[in-house]
Amino acid sequence: MKASEVMDPNPTTLKPTDTIECAAQYIMEKRYRNVPVVDDNFCYLGMFGVNCLLKQVIPKSVLMHKGLDNVSFIHESLEDLYQRFDEVKHQPISMCMNQELPPVSPNTPLTETLLQLYETRSSIAVVEKDTCKLLGMISYWDVGEKILNAGEHPNA
Amino acid sequence: MHSAAQADVIFGLSPVWFAGGLFVLTYVLIVTERLNRAIIAMMAAVLMIVSGVLTQQSAMQGVDINTIGLLTGMMIIVGITRESGVFQYLAIRSAKVVKADPWGILVMLVFVTAFLSALLDNVTTVLLIAPITLLITDTLKLSAYPYLFAEIFASNIGGTATLIGDPPNIMIGSATGLTYNDFLFNLAPIAVFILLITLIPLYLIWGRHLKAEPELINKVMLYREIDAIKDWVLLKKSLFVLTLVMLGFILGHDYGLQPATIAMFGAALLLLLHCLPQKQEKQTEMVARALGEVEWITIFFFIGLFIIVYGVESTGLLEILAHQVIELTGGDKTVTAISIMFVSAVASSIVDNIPFVATMIPLIKNMAPTFGGAEELIPIWWSLALGSCLGGNGSLVGASANLIVAGFAERSGQPIRFLPFMLMAFPLMLLSVFISSLYVYFKYF
Repeated sequence: MKASEVMDPNPTTLKPTDTIECAAQYIMEKRYRNVPVVDDNFCYLGMFGVNCLLKQVIPKSVLMHKGLDNVSFIHESLEDLYQRFDEVKHQPISMCMNQELPPVSPNTPLTETLLQLYETRSSIAVVEKDTCKLLGMISYWDVGEKILNAGEHPNA
Repeated sequence: MHSAAQADVIFGLSPVWFAGGLFVLTYVLIVTERLNRAIIAMMAAVLMIVSGVLTQQSAMQGVDINTIGLLTGMMIIVGITRESGVFQYLAIRSAKVVKADPWGILVMLVFVTAFLSALLDNVTTVLLIAPITLLITDTLKLSAYPYLFAEIFASNIGGTATLIGDPPNIMIGSATGLTYNDFLFNLAPIAVFILLITLIPLYLIWGRHLKAEPELINKVMLYREIDAIKDWVLLKKSLFVLTLVMLGFILGHDYGLQPATIAMFGAALLLLLHCLPQKQEKQTEMVARALGEVEWITIFFFIGLFIIVYGVESTGLLEILAHQVIELTGGDKTVTAISIMFVSAVASSIVDNIPFVATMIPLIKNMAPTFGGAEELIPIWWSLALGSCLGGNGSLVGASANLIVAGFAERSGQPIRFLPFMLMAFPLMLLSVFISSLYVYFKYF
């Protein structure tokens, strides 16, 4: 079995020009962990998700490479966190989307796809290698559901 | 100096030319930074042996175990100690002592950085202080640039003050037998003075303009520094061992104990205290983590460099160069000392001060007969230490700590650019070296 057989071929997408505020409201409302970001030609650019949001409200000095490894002395309120979000909410999501989550090709074997799902702990984009076109998304739920169905209907 | 085991001709060249050429090539490659410096140094060291300039046995004689042991031991101690959170506590506490006043914070962070740099290595110090600085300036909505600039200066000035503060001092101390107390009594006073003087231009340029909103100041005051201490038991063990090590540095010389022995004893003792209550598997994991804190790139760079310089020295090239330097300065010790200080400072602001000092040490040693013995070289050693340590402030590439701070600045979106930094830093560095030259002149001549 291959990645293309377990993916959702009609995923929800965001545009790189969408504001962080709009994208945040959207993923909160729908309870999405990650949503793929595509350009006008449906070319895959990256992912925007809850981690991108958390990144905006945690001090930069904590998240940066070799940054603070202990933040137990910082006691902030929700208002403090919102203030940090407020400073960036009108910026496009392209400035903070995750471009390091590797997509898989439609021909990637299922086990390799599952391993990536396990290692990245994020939904995976299925992307056509030559055109960078987004073909679909694979989430834990899609895969989990298919595995369970296979047990219930072995010949399906 | 040409040893009996040394080949007469190497690849058609005399050993002097071959070793000299290899040495220059090594320097060029280090400066260009296209290859990791440890790879360059190790490769050149092996070539010194393969080509027959040195035998493997003689190459090992060139490796200064005292420097290597001291660096490694201190890196292990600091690596374990930092897990306690004590350094973050110090930085936050210092900011709160001045009621989070922006200029007061800068002054306090400068003192903390200088103090820690004198006791630990500069790179570790800025790795600990820079993230806290960025957090505080971010909270106060201030530019981090003045703070990071000041911390670069503080780390290099603080490192000048003690034998263990900066690698050049470690090398000089090890090569000359000058003790921890010698460095403390001769270099610490001038380092403190230079630090205070440096604060004046920093105040005039930036300090008087630093202002923050009261509610933001209040946010910094709400930091609970006591919560930064993650492990009280480890903190007590670490402070106990650090105190023992410092006492060892101060008193150990009278009992024939070298700094490397003291640092390695401290590292072993702290590892023992840290790991003792744990099961064997956990101990292995903890020891591996502690040893992982050692900057092996720096250690292997040193090993390679010592072999290269020893190879060049064994051909007699450094003796020839020493005579030429003496000719240039007219055989005057004062002129030689002051010239070495300024040349070291300018060179150290352009190239890594570690290879520079590694080369200068045997070169200066060769001057002993001209100036009347090893004792007479002491002012020159202080000049080399002051020039090479303070010279690190001259540019962004002058010291590893500078580049670490620049990396933090870049990641925080407030980059420190090479040229603007140098335009400000180089004159300030020259001022500090000028003050040092007056100090050396009036104190030792």
